[in-house]
Amino acid sequence: VILVNYLAAAALLGIGLYTVLTRRNMIKMVMGLSLMEAATYLFMISLAYRSGSTAPVLLNPPPGQTEHSLAHGNVADPVLQNFCLTAVVIGVAVTAVFLSVVVRIAQHYRTLDSDQVRELRG
Amino acid sequence: MTIAALSSLLPLPVAIPLAGAVTAPLLARASSRLAVIVSLLAMAGSAAILLIEAPEVFGQDRVIAQYLGHWRPVNGHVLGVTFAADPFGLLVALAAAVIGAILLLYTLSELGGLGRRELGGYACLFQLLIAAVIGAALTADLFNLFVWFEVAALSSYGLAGFFLERPIALEAAFKVLVLTTLASFSVFVGAGLEYARHGALSFAQLHDALAGHTSATDAIALGLLIAGFATKAGLAPFHGWLADVHTAAPGPVNALFSALMDALGVVAIVRLVFQVYPAGSTPVLGVLMTLGLASALLGAVMALAQDDLKRLLAYDTISQVGIVVVGLATGNAAGLAGGIYHLINHAAFKALLFLAAGAIVHRTGLTRLSEMGGLARRMPVTAAAFVLGAASIAGLPPFNGYVSLSLIHEGLQHSHETVPYLLTLASQAITVAALGRAAWLAFFRPRQEDLDMPERLRPGMIAAFAGLGALCVAFGAAGPVVLRRLMAPAAASLLHPARYASAVLAGTGRLPALSVPFNYGSPAELISVAAGTAVAALLCWGYLRISEPRAIRLLRAAHTGSANDYAAYAIAGTLAVIAVLSLA
Repeated sequence: VILVNYLAAAALLGIGLYTVLTRRNMIKMVMGLSLMEAATYLFMISLAYRSGSTAPVLLNPPPGQTEHSLAHGNVADPVLQNFCLTAVVIGVAVTAVFLSVVVRIAQHYRTLDSDQVRELRG
Repeated sequence: MTIAALSSLLPLPVAIPLAGAVTAPLLARASSRLAVIVSLLAMAGSAAILLIEAPEVFGQDRVIAQYLGHWRPVNGHVLGVTFAADPFGLLVALAAAVIGAILLLYTLSELGGLGRRELGGYACLFQLLIAAVIGAALTADLFNLFVWFEVAALSSYGLAGFFLERPIALEAAFKVLVLTTLASFSVFVGAGLEYARHGALSFAQLHDALAGHTSATDAIALGLLIAGFATKAGLAPFHGWLADVHTAAPGPVNALFSALMDALGVVAIVRLVFQVYPAGSTPVLGVLMTLGLASALLGAVMALAQDDLKRLLAYDTISQVGIVVVGLATGNAAGLAGGIYHLINHAAFKALLFLAAGAIVHRTGLTRLSEMGGLARRMPVTAAAFVLGAASIAGLPPFNGYVSLSLIHEGLQHSHETVPYLLTLASQAITVAALGRAAWLAFFRPRQEDLDMPERLRPGMIAAFAGLGALCVAFGAAGPVVLRRLMAPAAASLLHPARYASAVLAGTGRLPALSVPFNYGSPAELISVAAGTAVAALLCWGYLRISEPRAIRLLRAAHTGSANDYAAYAIAGTLAVIAVLSLA
């Protein structure tokens, strides 16, 4: 089951990377980076999963599980899930900054083509 | 003071600038200057606390740890984030706080007239970035390091696009966003892989877990982490953003990026390579040597060809960070001490050079070397500051570059790395030629028509020049003392990772004393400096007379200015680093 997750993460990463490397439209580049970001989250969440584990909520055992199995730590790793929560928060901030820069570029240059916006080179 | 008291003070050097960053925009509502003055005080406070820690850490070679939230380790398992002041981290943190304060003083003078919103936001982002550098220098936790990386990244986006009315600032901000975001994925996945494999984030625990066996997963994680942090450090081929950002930003922001933000990347790489991963388990020193030499040469050659003064200095930053990494990659005591020494020196002299370039823009509005000329007569103080900075980079005694470069050369000779040694000398000669060309074109070349200079050099700007210039001279003239008291303990903390790890787990610990011999008047080194300067002078004279050689034209053409291309270079570099580390 979990193999599907890894394959999906790899596919998302590949699509995102392809977009970043080949699309010149800046909004599409931001979208590509967002896809790559989603791929890293999926990868992390999949790393956190252990066979047969439950969500790391330790209030009551879920249906079909006893408190015994919680005490033996058969839950998904909460630290990696916390990684993702932190990264999601940072990612939202970065995307907001990204899009505001793109909007200002569009206002100044009247284009979204990153190939038209390269005064700085060499 | 007792160790416990010193330990409890350890979060403050980060907490004070963070608090200052929050209050600055609020204070700016009352007065824009007040925001910068309070930021300056916050930096001074942060530096003062670090200075209180210094006698124990440097004098006794001690590592002091603080468990944030009092989550003490249980049975060797670290439960929370740990801050640990070892000589290396404290040195970088101290440099960040002191140079940050000097840059804020300069800002107060040059940009003090800006609007309230602008200056409030500026003071906020400036302090966030310095807090991130100090935090990254003091942390002993991999995920916390990622967080400081992101804090530095977010504030650098804001500062890069600070002059929103200048389109090139937006262009530069877009490029740094693309490359740093890619780097952050790399760091994030690298840290996650290490945690998933070893169940630990603390450097100490990871060190112990990795000591037995370094698997392919560990090597891939190391490759991802190095690639990510190399982007922040501006090493080739991850450097696409660096020159553009520096071209568009105001002088103090250039100085902040070049002097301190690059240091964050270097510090992170050093911690991982020397204090987390066991020596010799991966060919990582070879990778670092290659990245360092590539950056040193590419940066120097590109600097020689630039017409924009800030852009020239930015490419020189790539070159100097490359030299720092070359020194560290030798892995021996002299090379490590020299690399750390050069990192601190670079912070001082590159800040000085960028502030001089900023002062030229402030007074004349000129950014291109071809439009400048004869400025030495009209701006003697700025010219003196620039020449002092250039002489420091050139490694002329008695300035600071001489000591650090001598140590790096000694480290390279000690491990019989002849080709890297020669390449380092070559890149150094090209760097000196590039700076000599800049000094000639800007300051000393005769000029016919007179310049209109409505602005004058303000006292705070002169004070900043004096402070940074004094640092350059002091770290050069007192070289042996600085080496013995500061740099040798810092190198010891990298050469004895097991001691660092046990200190982080135990709360405190001592490092073995290390003595790095250094002969100030070594004839071989003095001859090499003289020969290098002579070659550089010839190169500079020759380059001013010829049209651009084909090789340099091709190299410049590879810097296409397109974010797609730079991302492709960075991805190719990442894959190459991972491939070498995991397959070799």
